[in-house]
Parts: sequence; structure tokens; C-alpha cells
Amino acid sequence: MTDTMEKAGKLALICALSALLLGVVNSVTEPIIAIRKAAELKAALENLLETGTPGPREDLEDEGTIKARYSVTGADAWILEFIGMGYGGDMKVLASYDFNGEIQDVVLMDNAETPGLGKKAEADGYMDKFIGTGGTTPVPVTKNELEAPDEVSGATITFAGIAAPLKEGSAYVKALGDDK
Amino acid sequence: MRELTKGFIKENPIFILMLGLCPALAVSTQVVNALGMSAGVIFVLLGSNIMVSLLKNFIPDEIHIPVYIVIIATFVTLVDLLMQAYAPALSRSLGVFVQLIVVNCIILGRAEAFASKNGVKDSIMDALSMGLGFFFGLTLIALIREVLGAGTITLFPMGNFNGVIEVPGLVQAPVRIISLSAGALFVVGYLKAMFNWISSRPGKEEI
Repeated sequence: MTDTMEKAGKLALICALSALLLGVVNSVTEPIIAIRKAAELKAALENLLETGTPGPREDLEDEGTIKARYSVTGADAWILEFIGMGYGGDMKVLASYDFNGEIQDVVLMDNAETPGLGKKAEADGYMDKFIGTGGTTPVPVTKNELEAPDEVSGATITFAGIAAPLKEGSAYVKALGDDK
Repeated sequence: MRELTKGFIKENPIFILMLGLCPALAVSTQVVNALGMSAGVIFVLLGSNIMVSLLKNFIPDEIHIPVYIVIIATFVTLVDLLMQAYAPALSRSLGVFVQLIVVNCIILGRAEAFASKNGVKDSIMDALSMGLGFFFGLTLIALIREVLGAGTITLFPMGNFNGVIEVPGLVQAPVRIISLSAGALFVVGYLKAMFNWISSRPGKEEI
């Protein structure tokens, strides 16, 4: 019994020391990470719009993959925030739409996609395939609907995890009309 | 010196010991990922080997595996937090693979096979040797896969350099399968055969 307690005590001591060390490092890095993420979000929201200023975030419930929306001052547009399902789990996607549901721009934010494959969705030009769709042109949701299917080879789950929410967002914005 | 150089060829963790193959296959699509992953592994390997070596007489044999895992997970979480705070681009690029260093067989394998039986100085040399061997192997796989599979060499962007070197000819017509999962197995298989050949040559046992 004493022997077991001694082993448990040693394991608990090592766990406690580890937790203490991580707590100290976390207290130093957490504010830096929070500031960086807030700056990245602000920059991403601004880059999604050619004109206008994004308003405050409004959380949405029961809207499927659409988790939040931002109204836009000075332009007939909405910005939507989605959580899509990628190969590596949840992917946070931001997209701007005009009032007709046409996609103006898209950016992939937090994700755990595979480096060199799904991660290519973060690269410049990847989202071009979606821009201008959603209004009169349907949002491409399968590889076969793309002009260059090879672009998403090896990462079709990532592509589908972005495309499906974007299509959903287009329908959502169309349903809103110009009601801000 | 032999302790330091053994990880490159004779006991290369990827090609000879066959350790750490999962991250080697997964992150070797770009050279920059290999460099970042290797830096993380070297840091964790050094930290865990030093701690395991220091605590080897304190840790009872019956609980040594959970203790090693706690030590390794602590260093991995440190790397993850520091990367997120100070190297966010690299952290984004490596994604989940940073956390997966916890279950990298090289780290636990060296703690179990070497650091728990040797002093701090030798454990540091072992960590450096294995870490640099992993770096060498992973970078070699990534270089071959990225050049053939994408026609590029991706490094860290610096100043006006965007970090991407394009290989004429291959960038227009890459052998795309090499950058996919099957290509990783092809490349590792051929490199393994080459390392077997090198290490089995007569008179070269001491490399």
C-alpha cells in the first residue's frame, strides 16, 4: 500500500510540476496569441470587402454550418462565419456576400488540414473558384463542377468542407434579402 | 563524436530504426514543414532526454511510461504555445502535427532505450544525434517529394523573397502522385533501400 502510494505521489508530483510550468508559459503566451488572433480576424474581415466596414459579430443558432454574421456599413453585403468539416476536423471559414447571395470573397481561418494538401486552401487564388458564384451561377460543390479539378486533387474533403457551407451561406443571404 | 553522428546513417531514426514514420510521411509535402517539424522534434527530444536522464533514479519502473508521456507532452505543449505566440505562420503550416509529436516514437523510444539508462551528457548527445538524423531524413524526403510532386522548394519567406523556389520544367508539369500519400510511401521505400545498401557495404559499418 505504501509502495503504491509512493508511486502515485511521484506521478502526481511530476504532473503538478508539468502543470505549473505550462501554466507559467501559458500566462505569458496567451495574451500574445489573443492579440494576434484578434488582429488576424480584423484584417480578414476588412480584406473580404472592397468597400464598407464590418459591423459587430452576431452569433447565430440553428443555422447549420453558419455560426455568425457581420453586417456591413457602407455596402450592400454580409459577412458570414462558417464551421466546415475538413479532413483534419473543423475549419473556420469567412465569406462576404452581396445581397443577391453572390460570393465576393472567401478566406480560410483556423484549421488543421494536412500541410501541402488541404492547407493549400489557405493559398492566394484557391478561393477564386468560388468568387462570383452563388448568385446566378451555382456554387461548385463537387470536383467535377470545377474548371480545373486537379487543383483540389488530394484534398477533396477540404474542398467539400468549404464549398458546402458557402452554398448554404448563399441561400441564407438570399433569404435575408436586403433586410439588415 | 560517433555518438553525435550515428543518427545520420548508421542509426538513422527514419530509415534504419523505422521510428517516427507517421509524421515523416504526413508533413514531408513541403521542405518548410520538414524544417519546422524537425526543429520541434529536436527541442522536445532534447528536453525529454535531459529530464528522463535526470529523473531516472527517481521514477519507479512500474510508472515510467506514464511519467515519460507526461514529460514529453509538457515539452510538446511548450513548443505548441511558443510557436503559436512567436511563429504563427509555422504553427498554422504544421497544424495538428505539432501536437502529434507527443506520440512520435522517436521521442518515447529514445527516452526508454537511451536516456533512462545513461547520464545527462550522453543523453544530450543522443538527442542531438537522433534529432539531426530525423531532420536529415525528413528534409531529404520532403525535398524529393516537393521538387518532383510540385516543382517547388518552399522555405521561410524573408524580406522580398516569398519563400518559394520554382524548379523550371517541373513546376509546369509536376509528378503529382509524389506529393500524395502513395508518393510518400514510394519515396520512403526507395530511400530505405538506399540506406540499407549504404549501411550494408563492407568496410562502411562505422559511418
